[in-house]
Amino acid sequence: MNWYRTITLAWRTLSRNRLRSFFMMLGVTIGIASLTAITSVGEATKRDTIAGFKRMIGTFDVINIQPGGGATRGMPSLATVEPVLKFGDAQAIADEATTVQRTAGVQFAFDIDVKHRDKTGSPAIFGVSADWMQIRGFNVSLGNILTEEDVRSLARVVIIGADVQAALFGDEDPIGKTLRIAEIPFQVTGVLESRGVGPGGSSMDDLLLIPVTTASRRLFNRDYLTSIAVQLKNPELADEAIQEITAILRDRHGIVPPAEDDFKISNPRAAMAQVTQVDTTLSKLLVGVVIIATLIGGTVIMSLMLIAVSERQREIGVRRAVGASRRDVMIQFLGEAVMISVFGGLIGIALGIITGVMVAIQQQLAPAILWPAVAGSVLLSVGVGLVFGLQPAWRAANIDPVEALRS
Amino acid sequence: MIKLSNIGRTYHRGDGTPVQALRDVSLDITQGEFVTIRGASGSGKSTLLNILGCLDTPTDGAYLLGGEDVSAYSDRQRSHVRNQRIGFVFQAFNLLPRTTALENVEIPAFYVNEAIDRNKALSLLKRVGLSERARHFTSELSGGEQQRVAIARALMNDPPLLLADEPTGNLDSDAGRSIMELLSELNSEGRTIVMVTHDAQVASYAQRELVIQDGAIVSDQQQSKPATAGSPD
Repeated sequence: MNWYRTITLAWRTLSRNRLRSFFMMLGVTIGIASLTAITSVGEATKRDTIAGFKRMIGTFDVINIQPGGGATRGMPSLATVEPVLKFGDAQAIADEATTVQRTAGVQFAFDIDVKHRDKTGSPAIFGVSADWMQIRGFNVSLGNILTEEDVRSLARVVIIGADVQAALFGDEDPIGKTLRIAEIPFQVTGVLESRGVGPGGSSMDDLLLIPVTTASRRLFNRDYLTSIAVQLKNPELADEAIQEITAILRDRHGIVPPAEDDFKISNPRAAMAQVTQVDTTLSKLLVGVVIIATLIGGTVIMSLMLIAVSERQREIGVRRAVGASRRDVMIQFLGEAVMISVFGGLIGIALGIITGVMVAIQQQLAPAILWPAVAGSVLLSVGVGLVFGLQPAWRAANIDPVEALRS
Repeated sequence: MIKLSNIGRTYHRGDGTPVQALRDVSLDITQGEFVTIRGASGSGKSTLLNILGCLDTPTDGAYLLGGEDVSAYSDRQRSHVRNQRIGFVFQAFNLLPRTTALENVEIPAFYVNEAIDRNKALSLLKRVGLSERARHFTSELSGGEQQRVAIARALMNDPPLLLADEPTGNLDSDAGRSIMELLSELNSEGRTIVMVTHDAQVASYAQRELVIQDGAIVSDQQQSKPATAGSPD
């Protein structure tokens, strides 16, 4: 018997025993449907989390370098960091690292009074290079972004966050107005688009951006950076980029083993993996449970097949008499088991996708189908058919034709 | 074409006691013969037929079919012999349920590595007088019709040897007679037929009669009367 004949024979038998076929499929269908629905809702949730994460940290092609080795907590400010990251480091990384597209130096400080007329605030102050806004995905809702010219000329210009605008200017148009940062006057040239609330629940709009050169020479009088933002050519090569940057910085800082790095490189991808970790642990558990349910569906196939084998003894006897070998009978019954299981699986996938999309829409997530899980479901149903069809097929193959034909 | 030498078949009961179903059976059947085997139930005639049909294997002796010792064959080899060289006709017809007449006739072709010749199956159904019933399910056919389908099935791979086990046992006398006429016709075309029966009427279609008793052949006679289609009652 060839494949085509095995399939047509199995199809004929199953389609002429519809009720039995239906019950054989049921367990696998339910199992695979749950599997598909769970993985697709999980995928939709994960994509939603990633999108949220991206909104917070910018794009994944950006990694961040901070001074100081080991574990430092929170945002390092100029007052607390080790003075090891220099402007030259940012330039060297941009020039020498092949995986890097561009870099931006940052000087960060807080607890500095910012005044407009009689109003005072103390927003976070970022001295940044011209590229920084693009690298981090910041944009202005009013006025202009920082320019190369601003940075080169040490311009006293400032771009304010939405909270600063509200606190110091109220309804007044801030563009062109003067702001005093530590009593030094800056001209407001832009207002940042609101970025909403961060993961900690605090506003992400209480900040100012000024050219990093101005910050370094006119405001803080410091020649070191609190961080360097690095944009990669290819976000897939983050690990390679980290290696390259580490080598460049260790060389420039004259660090030789066994001395440890005096800087720290963050990997946003790793950070995100941590955020989605809890989620995947839970979904792995669920997937495990559902796979076990599918296997139980397989035992249903096995027991109904065993019943069918004893009901079909005479058929087996006839087939043996007209020339079926043990192997032919084995393949016939195995083929039926695999076919029923695969049909059950395919129906389950269809039901699971429908359910997954419906749940996603109901949860206001973008529907997602996890195709590897779909492919896995197909393989799982083939496997269930093979494994649970084996014993019935073996029994069918070993029925004595003489006994089976005795009337 | 068939040569049995000192064939024995011993079964073991559930408690382990041996039962000799056949003992020291030697037999020659030549191409084109029509042989009946008679005997009481439990005499071993069905065991003999099953061994001839390669469904059962002897525990002693040798079975040469067309010069080949098939008693030593593997399961696949014996299956191939059944498929190509032997056609079975059973008392209970043994058509598959929920299957059409045509599909039943095609079953032996399932186990050949060639395309299934539907026209051949149809012409065999025509031959047994059932061409207009080809697409009917077996449950829609009468006993006589079912046995005709079974004979068409036995002929599907054109085997030289037909084995029939009480082929008229479940039929009324009219249907039985027409089945026997069909078998005689197939015999007169050169097919060897071995048939188990205990009906003397049915046995009269054959040229040779074996009587088996307690697992041994006790009589082997040529019948004087040649079998012809439409023998008198």
